Amino acid sequence: MRNFKFKRSLTLVAVSSLLSITIVSIPTAAQATPACTTANFVTTCVGATSDTAPYMLMTPANFNGTVYLYSHGYRPNVNVPAGIPGYGGYTVTNTAEPAPGGNAQIIGALLGKGYAVMGSGFARQGWNAESAIKTNVELIGIYKKQYPKTTKVVAWGNSLGGFITQALAERYPDLISAAAPLCMASDITPLMTMAGDALWGVKTFFDSSIKGGNYSSGAAGYAESMQDLGKVFTVIGALQAAITANPTAPAWPATSTVPAALKAIPSRSALVMVALISGVPMQSAHFDSTSAPAGIPASSALSFQLAINPALAALENIANAAALAVLATHDIELQAGGAVFDNTATNYAARVSAEQFIWSSALSGTAGINGLLGYLAAVPRVKANPAAVAKMASLGTHSGKVEIPTILFTATADPVTVAGNQQSVVDRYAAYTAEKWAASKKEGVRTRPANNQLVLWNLPPEKYTKFTAAGSPDSTTPAATGTNHCNFTLSQYLAIADLLAHASSTGKNLSGGALLTKLRKTGGMTYDRGYSAPKMKHYGE
Amino acid sequence: MIRKTRRKRTWFAAAVIASGSLFATALPANAETGVSATQIKLGITLPLTGAASPGYNKIGNAMNAYFKYVNDNGGVYGRKVTLIQKDDMYTPQLAIAKTNELILKDKVFALVGPLGTANFTATHKSVNLAKRGVPSLFLNTGFSGFANKKNYPTSFMILPSYAMEAKVVAQFLKESHAGKKLGLVYQNDEFGIDALGAFTAAGVKFDVSVPYTSGSQSAATAQTWVSQLAAGGAQVVVFFGVTSATAPLLAVAAGAKYAPQWILGSVGADPLTLQALGVPVAVLNGAQTPAGNPSPNDTSDEYVKQFQEINTKYNTGVAFDDYVLQGMNLGLMTVQALRAAGQNLTRRGLIRAMETKGSTFASVAYSPLGYSKTSNVGHTGYFMAVMGPTGDRKPLGGSVTLYTTDSGSGPVVKSTFKRPAMPAKGLPTNS
Repeated sequence: MRNFKFKRSLTLVAVSSLLSITIVSIPTAAQATPACTTANFVTTCVGATSDTAPYMLMTPANFNGTVYLYSHGYRPNVNVPAGIPGYGGYTVTNTAEPAPGGNAQIIGALLGKGYAVMGSGFARQGWNAESAIKTNVELIGIYKKQYPKTTKVVAWGNSLGGFITQALAERYPDLISAAAPLCMASDITPLMTMAGDALWGVKTFFDSSIKGGNYSSGAAGYAESMQDLGKVFTVIGALQAAITANPTAPAWPATSTVPAALKAIPSRSALVMVALISGVPMQSAHFDSTSAPAGIPASSALSFQLAINPALAALENIANAAALAVLATHDIELQAGGAVFDNTATNYAARVSAEQFIWSSALSGTAGINGLLGYLAAVPRVKANPAAVAKMASLGTHSGKVEIPTILFTATADPVTVAGNQQSVVDRYAAYTAEKWAASKKEGVRTRPANNQLVLWNLPPEKYTKFTAAGSPDSTTPAATGTNHCNFTLSQYLAIADLLAHASSTGKNLSGGALLTKLRKTGGMTYDRGYSAPKMKHYGE
Repeated sequence: MIRKTRRKRTWFAAAVIASGSLFATALPANAETGVSATQIKLGITLPLTGAASPGYNKIGNAMNAYFKYVNDNGGVYGRKVTLIQKDDMYTPQLAIAKTNELILKDKVFALVGPLGTANFTATHKSVNLAKRGVPSLFLNTGFSGFANKKNYPTSFMILPSYAMEAKVVAQFLKESHAGKKLGLVYQNDEFGIDALGAFTAAGVKFDVSVPYTSGSQSAATAQTWVSQLAAGGAQVVVFFGVTSATAPLLAVAAGAKYAPQWILGSVGADPLTLQALGVPVAVLNGAQTPAGNPSPNDTSDEYVKQFQEINTKYNTGVAFDDYVLQGMNLGLMTVQALRAAGQNLTRRGLIRAMETKGSTFASVAYSPLGYSKTSNVGHTGYFMAVMGPTGDRKPLGGSVTLYTTDSGSGPVVKSTFKRPAMPAKGLPTNS
């Protein structure tokens, strides 16, 4: 297998997808009465809720009575120095976000149809589900007070905002009439298990000086997490360079302390193992785990398809998920009061028992699998603080019990809030409706409970890895549909908005031919009741 | 983040229509996905292109040829059988996409002959074949894990498992090559491991053991295999891998004048494909192999004779080899399964028919079929054969001595099983 050069750094691509934030200047002090200005037939009001969370309300002159409440995703709650390699800088912000990414086209489209939009920046960043829910409830009251002709409130949100949106639907069906959790986070415990496993895997195989959690309190802990961030991206860069230099047998990073015997296994296989034990998808923004460069011998092409491409997918996805894993671990530990990741009882071999067959070549066959799993079984594990684990669980969980129409939509190759998040909510809702059905039958009612949950998936194309004329992987192209975190098109967001409007006005989700036509015209939205995303690893194989 | 560039719409958009129409379209009460009054639509994923495709890429066309023959003779209860082939290039992720396409877009009734252990593991898990109730008949893999009926309730094997094959070879090694230095080259995944476990359980110890990772097979890697075997003095070398790995192994060995007694596993021993991949035919002379089917050149066999006739007319110009024979037989088995499920064809009915009647189906292979309500095991045995100067194989000792066994700790026993006769003119009339 010849060597190749990436056209662009994977880690640079990774960073760009982490966050997008509206830049709007809003006062941060609590403000009982919104300050409003009107221009071009749109009244924009800004203010702050009682917890000092800034908000923005945008209402058209021809307001039809329905307002969209948007909840933004996870923003780190600490500043990140610009010098962190591969990440760049970040300054904590709580600017209000009344639509996904503050996107003017989405806002314009909704206002143009007579809908209003609103959103908060929330008072606290990081994992803020409970405070954000309270903020949103208050914000709904503020809006209705300002616009008494409001008849419907629909909620939508991305990522952590998807969690918040689902929670609003579960707890406040009297306040909102439809909800769309998008690329959603579900319970915090499986999410942090995934983050912990990924960080522990990177640490164990590639750089044992990475702390990976159990950060100190105060400034020392912040410094530790920033150091981890730098180390993780440095090691990802080293792995990328190693694969570039020798795709078949890339060297292990200099920071790796694994035994020499283990280094006989290509480092790319360890990378794939990290992805599999943590539940990171094996398709990424630019790597489909299928394609090979044109014009190389057939045997080399097969090797690239089965072994190299999957490793690059794992690398790119881990790069995308790593920053949030470090920052969220630091954040949650602060809130929970101690270490929350515990793998003392984790059987990693059981976790990959089925997938090891699928990715056997990428894992360097049975010898590679046994070697890597053997090492993971032999090294010391991480123990959590039980009180902190219990506290963490209380920070966010869904019941799945929803009475209003909800619309779920996520990419099956989302590396951050993996598709298993959405699946867990689907499963809980199914269990809830089954319970209701059983109870109804006991009471002699023969009508099945209505299905108020519309589940949509964004699947990647079957082939999308691009190569330069020289045969190198080209990661300068836009991320493929169905990959990356909350990587939705404008059309998809607008389709969701339309579906919400229908659900809100009729009390049920669009269905049948009208739904299918809508989805077909939008593109990249699959309705398939036979599909189930893999469960998150926390729940076992 | 909002993606600025919309990518070209993929088949998933179409898939949406297809999947949704399952619920939106009013079908007749007895209708089933992929079945109409005039047609039964089936699907298969297999490598049609790429390094792993040689030989395998003939199976689908051979099945289609058989189906065309049946269709020209009335079809299955008047319905014509069509087979849609999808190229997965032997990669699991592509197999998932192609299987999704078959089920959601093409709306096939059932999968028949999906090929490859990793690929079927991936598709079964990701496409939720069991949850959807999609029958997956006659898996083209011998991985014994697929015999787990609890995990694979809608799937049925056809090949004897790799473990069964290894157990038969292990017995043969003890009986015929005792005292020789033994070498083993095996695909270092569940394919080879299935075999390795069986060899170990049988007490066979290899003096030289050479694992290779699927996809790494090439002339260059074969050099290292041959070097290890020769350095270890292996006099008898057992090979458990695919044909695209057998070929460089034998070619490199011939070039190096290394000539052990080869025992080639059934998966990678098709002489025509090996010759097409550059193996000198002389190297095959004397090679031993466990075989489940008669030689594709054995026109005294009623199955082979009938299939050759069908191949001549419906698969014109394609050399009749083990893969074509296997493809034709898959077609024959499929038609019997469809007939056994009755005129009111449903997926559940097909699975039930496989469980209750599948063990009685006519098949070219000599060994019994293991289908029942509690078993999705296909054929259960092998005989040992030897290749001649043209690569053609004949039963070792002049006549077939069939050994049957299981994938576990059961004994290897000589079998007196009598293979069902080929249906008249190769056209099943079972019900």
